[in-house]
Amino acid sequence: MKVLALALIALPALADEPVVPKFVAEQAGVTASYTGEWEQMVGGGVAVFDCDGDSKLDMVIAGGTSPASLWKNDGTPGKDLHFSNIKAGVELTGVSGVWPIDIDGDGIRDLVVLRVGEDVVMKGLGGCKFRRANEDWGFQGGDGWSTAFSATFEPGADWPTLAVGDYIDRTQDMEPWGSCTDNHLYRPEPGARRFAAPLPLTPSYCALSMLFTDWNHSGRASLRVSNDREYYLGGQEQLWHLDPGQPPRLYTEAEGWQRLRIWGMGIAQADLNADGYPEFFLTSMADSKLQTLAAPGPDAKPVYKDVAFARGVTAHRPYTGGDKRPSTGWHAQFEDVNNDGLTDLFVAKGNVWDMPDFAQEDPNNLLLQRADGTFAEAGDKAGVASMLTGRGAALADLNGDGALDLVVVNRNGPVEIWRNTGPVANWVGVELTAPGANRDAIGAVIEVRTGDHLQRREVTVGGGQGGGVLAPLHFGLGQAAEAEVQVIWPGEAAPGDWVTLKAGSVWQIGKAPAEPVKR
Amino acid sequence: MALLLTRHTPTYSPPVASRTIGYLGVTGYEVVASGRPDQMQSLAGQMNGLSALPARPQDVDDAVAADAAMGAVVTALFAHTGPTGQRALKAMTAKSAAKAAEGLAPGVIEASAGYGRAVGQAILGWAATDGGDRIDNMGFPDSYTPNPEPGHWVPTSHIALQQAPLLPGWGKNRPFVLKSGTDCGLPPPPAWSTDPASPAYVQAREVYDTSRSLTADQKAMARFWSDDAMLSVTPPGHWLSIAMQVIEAKDMPLPQSVDALARLGAAEADAFIGCWSAKFEYDFIRPVTYINRTIDPDWTPLLITPPFPEYPSGHSSLSGAAAAVLTDLWGTQPFTDSTGERDGLAPRSFPSFEAAAAEAAMSRLYGGIHFRAAIEQGLAQGHCVAKAVQALRTLK
Repeated sequence: MKVLALALIALPALADEPVVPKFVAEQAGVTASYTGEWEQMVGGGVAVFDCDGDSKLDMVIAGGTSPASLWKNDGTPGKDLHFSNIKAGVELTGVSGVWPIDIDGDGIRDLVVLRVGEDVVMKGLGGCKFRRANEDWGFQGGDGWSTAFSATFEPGADWPTLAVGDYIDRTQDMEPWGSCTDNHLYRPEPGARRFAAPLPLTPSYCALSMLFTDWNHSGRASLRVSNDREYYLGGQEQLWHLDPGQPPRLYTEAEGWQRLRIWGMGIAQADLNADGYPEFFLTSMADSKLQTLAAPGPDAKPVYKDVAFARGVTAHRPYTGGDKRPSTGWHAQFEDVNNDGLTDLFVAKGNVWDMPDFAQEDPNNLLLQRADGTFAEAGDKAGVASMLTGRGAALADLNGDGALDLVVVNRNGPVEIWRNTGPVANWVGVELTAPGANRDAIGAVIEVRTGDHLQRREVTVGGGQGGGVLAPLHFGLGQAAEAEVQVIWPGEAAPGDWVTLKAGSVWQIGKAPAEPVKR
Repeated sequence: MALLLTRHTPTYSPPVASRTIGYLGVTGYEVVASGRPDQMQSLAGQMNGLSALPARPQDVDDAVAADAAMGAVVTALFAHTGPTGQRALKAMTAKSAAKAAEGLAPGVIEASAGYGRAVGQAILGWAATDGGDRIDNMGFPDSYTPNPEPGHWVPTSHIALQQAPLLPGWGKNRPFVLKSGTDCGLPPPPAWSTDPASPAYVQAREVYDTSRSLTADQKAMARFWSDDAMLSVTPPGHWLSIAMQVIEAKDMPLPQSVDALARLGAAEADAFIGCWSAKFEYDFIRPVTYINRTIDPDWTPLLITPPFPEYPSGHSSLSGAAAAVLTDLWGTQPFTDSTGERDGLAPRSFPSFEAAAAEAAMSRLYGGIHFRAAIEQGLAQGHCVAKAVQALRTLK
């Protein structure tokens, strides 16, 4: 494939403070809320994806004690945001989280709906309609308090593997501590396109976020689990091996895994230092963590250094509003909100529920990366420093104008939506279309090069808090008018050829033919 | 319940836990003692600031009154626990009140609960004036300027909240029995020096060398006594748990039980006040800082280094005080401690309380968070505190 020379390459001057985009609050027709009391103190997220093939991103919002709701994007591209609620079959109560994924490989996104109660997988029917598919797909939804999710396609599989994290045994009102119920792994049933009986991921430590990630370029995903230390006994953060045909097994101290005990609530990953290996941001109460591999390389051990303090992303207490008490972080997401080519970080914030030692007025963080790798707080300047009780969130280009917009799901408060009005620099969107069952190429890695600046992202499903985005991956390009892009497809060690994409569009890249198509 | 909430309430660092255990001990003791004036003597007038408590009416049931009194104190002192703690507290309070009232006449229940609540409120009024009632920002000051001279404490973690030390004013709180936090003062730690022949270097080298040759049992000791805040019942909770295990195993009579818990609680609280007074008097450097600067820049200790000055060791002061008090009451008592069993920490057996205290103290060296001087002087400080507690007059 022909590799074109770059027309223009430019990144911000090293000492510059990042450009702060202006986010404008728009109700956008959305009236949802995540409601409830004790069983809804965690969870509450949003699934953002295109459910009707119109290339506009729709939303399913977890409602807690209120029904979950689907919001069809009927706004005009490039203009104000607007959504309409449609009856979609997702209107279950007790929903704590929702993630989009094409389970059956038919090119229509399905949903995994986590609940306080039975978890449900829903088959996408097209036109933003869904129906329950637990029985058809052999999915045993149990009766737990589910709070974390991730999905992957194991090597050679034509059906996804799902991980569902569970929280407290909700029948234990007297002594809920130490009652963490089992997380489960749903693998494909051999020889069939359905799930086998779930495997318990024992020990389980009250997971609030999970993420399948090929953190070490092994060609297969491991499962990171972030756990809430409030409720476990003898627990810690976890990383599971997921070897083909083998039972899952934990990474051990002998393999380098280090004991870390936090109020783990959300996982986000991004390769911030362009060493080819992802950093992990873990939300918590008070200090959050930013982990970077101590010794990256082909034989890397999972030994991480916490560089949150050095990078300025501890996000440990409110930075505006006057409440000095420690913060409570939930959903975290790495994206480039000003398109300067440097990955930024959004963190949704909000008190658990009347915890007086933690901030009640706890503004969301929008941490903009500087060229030196540190981050500058810009939540207040950007206009997203809401004091509502945040839980799940999504950064996604809702109106297709190349600037990532923001949705935050608040507990017992209205969902908030902000349109990113810029200024933002150039950008490119990349949507992978793979043959076979793994249509969205989960596990693929996209590398985007502008001059000597490399961005690298893995296509993942999971992490965050209560929901996630399945949409074209967004790359800021600074002033560059085009970028070189290459893809490492799932299960392949070598990347494909570099292709050059012009800025300002979403490009579909298929495995064969590989010529990108402007969407 | 108090031990559960200690673990699950974010402000409950070990000093804060010791304070609550102290007040709960006195609460239980006073309710029981008030019904046995011929056998037991009130602590009013013996403890700093504790004046006469509400008079006990006729026909009071000990169990109902104690339940109501303890319930009032627990509910107030754990008012900041989270939604799950509040939910559990409500459920457990209701259950224990119902159990205590089983078979009793309504009038007795009402009178007993009313008396218990009155005692609880009196204890809370007393507690409100000790200087430790309000904990902001989980005990960490908004800002702090470390002493720039070498040998002084500097932050040892990259946790933003812990760039200031925990509870720097705790040593000024009103003790239960000591006249002040400086009563059981200590000699200074070894003078700061990086000379390999100096006591400071020698003790740092001991921590470093020990950490590189830890036996499996030494690692087990370090973890067994680690007692991290918000991940365990904390060190004072650990010793309360030991006392409760012994009381249960021996089926100890109620007066002896509440006497032990009151003395233990006061000793623990005062040990931490004395310890914190000395910690901020000497403001001594932690092993991880010394060793990283002088011996090995990449060295990390087995345990998480607590975010406050090193000398003396808090666990050593506390354990020394607790062991001396329990030994004074119950003598040399072999026991098995199962406190951490649900956390996967195997029970450990000890020939005596003093042997357990010695192990708890040395575990901090194995864990790489204290030098030997802090351990030895901490134990000595604990013994000093215990002497003051032993002077209390309780059982007649």
